[in-house]
Order: sequence, then structure tokens, then C-alpha cells
Amino acid sequence: MEEAWIIPAIPAAVFAFMFFFRNLLPRQGDFVSVLGALASFVVFFFVLADALDGISLGEKIRPAVEGFTWLEFSDFEIRIGFYVDELAIVMLSVVTFVALMVNFYSLGYMKGENHYGWYFTILSLFVASMLTLVLADNLLLLYITWELVGICSFLLIGFFFERRSAAEAAKKAFVTTRVGDTAFLIGIIFAFYQVGTFDIQTLIEAAEAGEISDGWLTAISLLIFVGCMGKSAQFPLHVWLPDAMEGPTPVSALIHAATMVVAGVYLTARLLPMFEVAPYALDFVLIVGLITTIFSALVGLLQTDIKRVVAYSTLNSLGLMFVALGAGGHGLTAALLYLFVHAFFKALLFLSAGSVLHATDRQDALELGGLWRKMPLTAILFGLGAAAMAGVFPLSGFFAKDEILAVVLDERGPVYFGLVLVSVALTGVYIARIWILTFLGKPRDQHAYDHAHESGPLMMIPMVLLGILTLVGGLVVFSDIGQELGFPGGFGQFLFVEEPEDFHFDWALVGASVGAALLGVLMAFYFWLVGSGRRAATVEALMPEMALILRRKFFIDEVYQAGINYVMLGAAGVVSWFDRAVVNDTGVNGAGVLARFAGDRLKYQQTGVVPNYALYIVVGVVVLATIAVVTVAR
Amino acid sequence: MIPLEHFLVLSGILFSTGIYGVLSRRNAVLILMSVELMLAAVSINMTAFAVYISPDLFTGIIFAVFVIVVAAAEVALGLAIIVRVFRQRASANVDEVASLKW
Repeated sequence: MEEAWIIPAIPAAVFAFMFFFRNLLPRQGDFVSVLGALASFVVFFFVLADALDGISLGEKIRPAVEGFTWLEFSDFEIRIGFYVDELAIVMLSVVTFVALMVNFYSLGYMKGENHYGWYFTILSLFVASMLTLVLADNLLLLYITWELVGICSFLLIGFFFERRSAAEAAKKAFVTTRVGDTAFLIGIIFAFYQVGTFDIQTLIEAAEAGEISDGWLTAISLLIFVGCMGKSAQFPLHVWLPDAMEGPTPVSALIHAATMVVAGVYLTARLLPMFEVAPYALDFVLIVGLITTIFSALVGLLQTDIKRVVAYSTLNSLGLMFVALGAGGHGLTAALLYLFVHAFFKALLFLSAGSVLHATDRQDALELGGLWRKMPLTAILFGLGAAAMAGVFPLSGFFAKDEILAVVLDERGPVYFGLVLVSVALTGVYIARIWILTFLGKPRDQHAYDHAHESGPLMMIPMVLLGILTLVGGLVVFSDIGQELGFPGGFGQFLFVEEPEDFHFDWALVGASVGAALLGVLMAFYFWLVGSGRRAATVEALMPEMALILRRKFFIDEVYQAGINYVMLGAAGVVSWFDRAVVNDTGVNGAGVLARFAGDRLKYQQTGVVPNYALYIVVGVVVLATIAVVTVAR
Repeated sequence: MIPLEHFLVLSGILFSTGIYGVLSRRNAVLILMSVELMLAAVSINMTAFAVYISPDLFTGIIFAVFVIVVAAAEVALGLAIIVRVFRQRASANVDEVASLKW
């Protein structure tokens, strides 16, 4: 496992190479990026095989720590170090695989765009940063890569920067995550202040040994979690993610669904032992996750932009992962299982949405419809992803959702369980609705429909591969299948906190979760397919205010805009006035004015008559002598 | 014996008179004379201190002799310059000798 550093090193080298030489290469060097992603993926398997070598059921792999000191000032050192354990391995598998699929897909999707080579350059930088992030053994390196993936996200959301909305969305994403990142940085500084090191394992050990007081521990945990909320777009810092869909669709799949946005989940999972010790921290995680998952499911109900609906489903999923983490117990296993399968079906959903967008140049579902005749494979794959997202048996999403529901029921009781179940049902409604609006019914825009066609093999192959994983990915929970793959057991026996967990069907639970999902899906069919959506319109007419609130996403954006307009600009006005009136006019200019005035008056003393100067000397000597005499006399 | 203070007061009066002369006179000869007064005051001071404070040493008196020598040389040189200036300008007023000022 010591060779794990090679995995991020490959895309980093690709980035450096392409940064300088992409324009000298044929096809602007896109193949370098794809080959780099492929190489990372291959190396990952060597690391995995190495990690699995000789471990048996219920045993954790021995984490490998590798690295060197980068900078050192007395007792303060910045280390570049890699820590490989089960959590890192699960993340590595997701990142390397989805990165490879997206690189491949982008060859078709981005063909002929401006700055084609630059796109792949940034994609490689992103992959390198994300892989370092999941391997980092200390908070500072993690923070550096955390910001690096943020800047890649900024650059890729704003990739079509000629379009104003894309530039605005990039800015919004950057500024919003910045809010969380600032809290994260303060948390890191607090942790360093308390423990004296950035090392994550040392921090966790100190927390578990009770070396940090409860107050500090809560402060550190919550501040770091606010960073996670920013990166993982949790309420109320979720506003950037739907807008981030302005970026190219493969980017949405890679960064804003499968990898970067789950960095917050990863970090919370990484520090989970600390969160468990800190009072209130887990409850806070649970509540934030719950609010986000229900909020996004509600908002997703009436959106019509395909990519945005999928983005809201991402919010929904991220919220669920935090619910699982916040629940405690086997929550880590459930959350990471969901993260693992979510990466595949969400990437699939995005890539299918991209396929539609690529073929029709439309992304508003109200202008589409009936596309299954023109794009049957895309329709099936999108449907597969949607069903997995809804949690329909036996797709991968089902197993993960079932685990989460079981954990919530065991650890937190029926009230929370009920709320999560509501969110599951709502997910079924909106994800089925967007599939119906896009692929079923009659075409609403004949022109777009006529031009629709199935995408080329470069785009379809990654989609099919992801589709297969969506279909079978959830089966990793079973011990038999895990053992076939070389693991000691199923997912729960590979990644766990204290004791391994064997997956088993709890039929009441399965009934509840599948029932809720199917209920949602059937409601979507009932309201939006039968009678071409007239029933949905009728319901909406009954509750116009409710519909308005949902369409406008609970007016969160408007509230923030008002906050910026009145509170922030008002405060900025006060500061600006202070700067102008006090600092500039009185301070800086004041000094100059004073000097000029004094010179203006004093210049008359410079007569040029030598006896006058002699007189001043005499007067000065007399004064000094007097002072000397008086003080000495005392 | 005359107390030391009397010498000091005399020397103070002489020095002040000298300063007044230097500051207020315009005639170069008078300024030179005032400077001589100030030097004389200093010489008196030194001689008085020498006698009253360290009678065994002659440092102060020797210093006074030096001052007299320097003053004589200075007056000789100064008067020579003043004579040259007077020859040129028909005036010994220091304010008029300003051609080196800009």
C-alpha cells in the first residue's frame, strides 16, 4: 500500500505536462488525460490487492502511513503524508473509476468546444487534488487539496465563461463554499492549538482520550463540519450546487455529484470518532442532513430543468449520507455504502442528462418529451439511474437506502425514521417525474425532438458501464459476493467502525422503504403521465402559494440576495465611510495638510539674516542651560 | 579673598555684552571687538577656576594664554579681511557683504 502515492501523482504529472505542452500535442492532449485516469485506476487495483492481502473476516486492514516533511519551522511542520485505510480505499475506488468514465465521456461530449485541452488539464488537476484529499494524513494537506478541488470546481463551473450565468454561478459556488472553508480553517487552527499537530489520527486519539475539553471539542467538530456543509452543499449553504449545473455536464457528474461534493461526507466520516466524543456534534450532523434531504426533495418536485432536478437529488443524497453519519452506530458503513453506489448512479443520471442535452440542446424538460423513441438506450439508462435513486429493489440505491433506514431506526427511533421515509417517497416522485417529462408522453418541442439522436459510442460506453454498476453495485453488501471479489466479506465487513456488520434483510424495513419509493414513483406516473400532466396542474391550482414557494426554492436565494444588498452592502457602506472620512481624510491627508500648514507659517522664520540664526542658537542654549540648571539643582 | 562668584559674574557680564554686540552690530569691526570681549570672558573664567579649584595645576592658565594667542591671530586675520572688504566696497557693513549668498 506504500505505493498509494502514485495514484494522485499520475494525474498531477498529467496536469503539469498538459499545462505547458497541451497545444503542441495532437487533439490538444486529451488522450494524455484519459490515459492518466486509466493508469490511476489500474494502480488503484494494485493498492487494493496489497491492502486485502492476508486480512480475514472482522479484521481491519493495517493503515499504511507514508510521507515526508515538506516545510518545518521549529515545532511547526507541514507534512505531505498519505494514510491508506478502508475509508480511503472506498473513496479511491469511486474517484478513480468515475474520473476514468467522465474523461472518456468528455471525449465525445466536449468535442469541438473552445479551450478543449484546458478542460482536460483542469480535469486532471481536479482528479489529482481529490485523490490527495482522500489520502491526506493531516488536516493541513487536506485543507490545501480541499481548496484545490474548490478552485477546479470554480474553473469548471465557469468553463463556458462567455455565458454570463456560468460566470455568475462559478462565483456563487466559490463564495458560498468559502464561507464553509473559513470555518473549516478556524477549526483546523483550534485543533492545532489544542493538540499541537495537524495529524488526523493524533487528533482523534486525543479526542478519544479526553485530552481536549468538551467545549473545545464541540467547537472544533462543529467548525470543521461547517466546512463540510459548504463543500457538500448542506442547508443553508446548499445554494451553489443547483447553479453549478452551468458547467459542462461531465463535470457535474464527476465533481458535483460523485466526488468533490462528497468530500464533506468523507471528512465527517474520517473524523467520526471525534464527532462521536464531542457533545451535540452528531446531533447537529443529523439535523442538518435531515433538513437538507427533505428540503431538496420538496424543491426538486417542481423544477423542470433536468440537470437541476438531478442536482437536487444530489443534495437529497448528500443529506441522507449525513443523516446516516449523524445517526451513529453503523452509520459510517451505511453512509459510505450510499456514497459508493451513489457515485455510480448519480454519474449515470448526469451523463444520461448530458446525452439528452447533447442531442437536443435543451435542458428544460418542458421543451422535451417522448424522447424514448429517439434515444431508447439513454431513456433506459436514465430510468435505471432514477430507479436506483428512488431506491427500487434490487438496484444499488435500494441496498444503501435500506442500510441508512435501518441505522436511523435502530439508533434514533421512529420519528427520524418516518422523516427519512418521507424524503425517500418524495425522491421517488420527483426523480420519476423528470424521467416521465423527458422521455415519455408527447414531444412538446417538435424541432428539438426531430433533431434528437442517440449519442456516439464514446459517450454511450461509459454510460453503459455505469449502468451495469448501478444495476449490480449494491450487491457488494452480500458476504458471498464480497468474498468472490477477494474481500473478507460484504461491504459492512470491510468498512466499519468497531465491529463488522453483516447485511441481512429485515422484511418490514424493506417493505417500508421499497413501498415508500414505489408509492412516490406511482404518484409521479399518476400525476404527470396520465392525462399529460393535467392532474398535476389541477393540484397545483389548488395550492398556488405552495407551488410558488417550491418553484422559487423557498426564496432562499432571494433572502441571501436581500442579505447581501442590505446587511452586507450597508456594513460595507459604513466601513467605506470610516475609511474615507477617518482613515483617508483625517489620517493620511490630515498629516499632509498639517505639514503643509506648518510649513506655510514657519517659512517666515527663515529670514536669511545670519544674526537672527545666531540669536536662535543663543536662545536655545539659554533655554537648555536653564533646564539643566533647574534639573541639576533639584 | 575675593570669592569665585565675583569672577564668574564679571565673566558672565562680559560674555553677554559680547553676544549682544555680535547680534546687534552691523559693522564688522565692532563685531570683531565683541568677539574679543567673549574670548576675554572665557579667559577670565578659566583663570579663576584654575586658581580656585586646582591651584597646583596650571592647565586653566595655559588655556587662557592659548586663547589670547588665538585671539590675536584671529583679530589680525579678521582685520586684514575687513580692510580688504572696505577697500573694495567703501563699507564695513556685514549685511552688504552678501555676494556668496543666493
